[in-house]
Amino acid sequence: MTPPRAAVSRQPLRQLKNRIATGLITAGGIGVLLAILAIGVFLIWETLPLLAWDQTFAFSKLSPLAWGTLKAALAAMLFALPIALGAAMYSALFMSARLRSRVKPALEMMEAIPGVVVGFIAGLVLAPWVERHLASTLALLIWLPISAGLAGVLWHMAASRWRKWLPLSWAGLWLLPWLVCMVLLALWFAPLLEQFLLGGDLRRLLEQHWGMDYATRNALIVGIAMGFAVIPSIYALAEDALADVPTSLMEGAQALGASRWQALWKVALPAAGPGIFSAVMIGAGRAVGETMIVLMASGNMALLSVSPFEGMRSMAAAIAIELPEASPGGLTYHHLILAALVLFIFTFLVNTLAEVVRSRMRRRYHKAGRH
Amino acid sequence: MSRFSDTPRRRLMDALWPWLCAASVALSLLMLAALLALLVVRGLGHFWPATLEEITLRSGDSVAGQPTREAPLPQADGFERLYFTANRDIDGASWRWVNLDDIASRSTPSDLIRLERNPWGDFIGRLAGVETGGQLLREDQAWRYLTQALALPQAERPDAELLLVTSDGQTLRQPLSNFSQALAPNAMSWWQKIHTWSRNVWQFLSQGPRAANTGGGVWPAIFGTVLMVILMSVIVTPFGVLAAIYLNEIAHQNRLTRLVRIGVRNLAGVPSIVYGVFGLGVFVYGIGGTLDSWFFSDTLPSPTFGTGGLLWASLTLALLTLPVVIVATEEGLARIPDAQREGAVALGATRLEMLVRIVLPMAIPAMLTGVILAVARAAGEVAPLMLVGVAKLAPQMPVDGEFPYLHLERKFMHLGYHLFDTAFHGEDVQAAIPLVYATALLLVLIVLVLNLTAIFLRHYFRRQRGSEC
Repeated sequence: MTPPRAAVSRQPLRQLKNRIATGLITAGGIGVLLAILAIGVFLIWETLPLLAWDQTFAFSKLSPLAWGTLKAALAAMLFALPIALGAAMYSALFMSARLRSRVKPALEMMEAIPGVVVGFIAGLVLAPWVERHLASTLALLIWLPISAGLAGVLWHMAASRWRKWLPLSWAGLWLLPWLVCMVLLALWFAPLLEQFLLGGDLRRLLEQHWGMDYATRNALIVGIAMGFAVIPSIYALAEDALADVPTSLMEGAQALGASRWQALWKVALPAAGPGIFSAVMIGAGRAVGETMIVLMASGNMALLSVSPFEGMRSMAAAIAIELPEASPGGLTYHHLILAALVLFIFTFLVNTLAEVVRSRMRRRYHKAGRH
Repeated sequence: MSRFSDTPRRRLMDALWPWLCAASVALSLLMLAALLALLVVRGLGHFWPATLEEITLRSGDSVAGQPTREAPLPQADGFERLYFTANRDIDGASWRWVNLDDIASRSTPSDLIRLERNPWGDFIGRLAGVETGGQLLREDQAWRYLTQALALPQAERPDAELLLVTSDGQTLRQPLSNFSQALAPNAMSWWQKIHTWSRNVWQFLSQGPRAANTGGGVWPAIFGTVLMVILMSVIVTPFGVLAAIYLNEIAHQNRLTRLVRIGVRNLAGVPSIVYGVFGLGVFVYGIGGTLDSWFFSDTLPSPTFGTGGLLWASLTLALLTLPVVIVATEEGLARIPDAQREGAVALGATRLEMLVRIVLPMAIPAMLTGVILAVARAAGEVAPLMLVGVAKLAPQMPVDGEFPYLHLERKFMHLGYHLFDTAFHGEDVQAAIPLVYATALLLVLIVLVLNLTAIFLRHYFRRQRGSEC
């Protein structure tokens, strides 16, 4: 065969072009990567002047912010973890494939809802409502899991005809109306219970007996709102990890006499442990760095309190509020940059840890003979 | 020997746990649905011409307004209702709480009207007459004259004065030029209401804000958001693709490359506010300050580029979304089988020709997905913008007829920040809330549509490519 015909005189030009383009791409690629790395360098560089100042002041200024960040993230994780992990376990192992292919994108859409919208709903709708109905809110938080269990008990007691109509694999959908009814029931019943058991408003009681202040925008609200925002990211990663567990493992366990739940709890969960761990880590990283929700739903008071009914100010929110007003080069400016550096390092480390753990797990499954 | 114990208690728990898990799926869906339903109902409901009510109190006073919501009385039993009574120039306030026990009678007379005007906000009451050219029109004639005059463009409207009567009998006289819209919602048919509703929605989308963001529309915010996002994607696409090509096609695949890849992936998880800090410190104060001292020293100390602006905001968001584009493009490049590349090289193509003619065309869907995801992320991001150039009310649009047409140094309005600012720093939050709902709905819709597009694109191309790869 004859080689493709190209004018001999043009060959060097082609090679030259190729070399130049390769050089340009390399330069551009490295430049972009350096620009990304520059973020860390810049933050460290701008924090260095702080070394010349008094250290204790920086500490006293940053510690309430650090505590606020932790408190907000903790509240969010407390709310999000059970829901996200429960949802992941259910949809990876119990849900029917058809429903799963619909529910998964729907929950991923949840992640796309901008933080500023969630924050607005939390700060201006949820917070005043919870302030007026504190007892109902707490009752709901306790009652909803119980009512889910109740649904299970009723289902097991129901006639088999009913069970066929309402299978467990579609429960994620048909439990919706049940939950709505239970919410309404709790909302109707809680005020009566409050009146009967406590003899009055729970909020007043908190204030008089335990001396707890109640702020409208508090850790409870932030927990719910930010929990809502991190549920989808934890869910998506944990679900992937669980779905990746080789089915042969589950089948083996069930062949040895385990119930489905036991196979999940004793076999699938430990096997997917690293993946779930990394999901939780990434969720925590998101909760620590989320700005708008905390800014809008927390009241932004720099407090050092453990009460779930008091607000806080997180590092991210402090940066968003104070940095535009801080004069460049001033003490506040450098403090806020230090806060940004802490956020950066924390999330970077957490994510790297999660990534390493996850890729290890992938390699293990690869060896176990899947993919 | 079994590790799988089988006591009755265990069996009960085994049977119940899956239900708790199922309930958490249902609860997540419920929360999502509730949020969206709330936004849709409150966001779209605001534009519906609401019925106006006239109530007579036991004290004999009469109040006209739009009932908004009810709440229990703070100290005693019973409820109170909030009315939007407008008429800020007469009453000094446009809201009024009325104890339900104080109301003697309620009615919805069809001659109650609601006028939009500037200054003083809306008027609610009755039209007594219109005086034009020494002639006094009354009743239906006056109303017809008013609606016809308001249908004309602002400049062509005739000189006239309106005689208005409030519900409690005070009269006032105001020039026609103050008014922009007249509605008699109680006398409207369904069809007219739907017509008014769609006109209001259109005005919301196409007009600028009025009365300190409590009225009017969000057009400048939409424009600012879109322009910023377009600029951002123009910046982020080439650089992101370049970095991905370098990482996947040119760099040696060794430990360092792997580390860099993990690093880039993790940057997607770094809080957006950190990017904002970087943008403020490097772009605004660093580069912007230097540009000012070189080219705009005559206007110093008032900064030109040394303050937040459109360019810096786009650059910051480009940096923020760079990892998204790089990761998506790299995934696309990695999916292309090596046989394609080897075939091209074997036929005598140089690396550049192989990349441009074979690899890149196959990776276009992945790039597109990455860019759309980046746009979706950027459109919803507010925190970094607060540091690098968003404004609550930008006096000038960033694009106009003045040379150089696109003003990169100007501040701009953004939907997300507009929402935040109106909801939390507005003067009359009560009046602004419905608009905030509408803005939130718009923002969510934009972001969801973008995300859905990305999902469908990915799905579509995967299916189409399925046979090749």
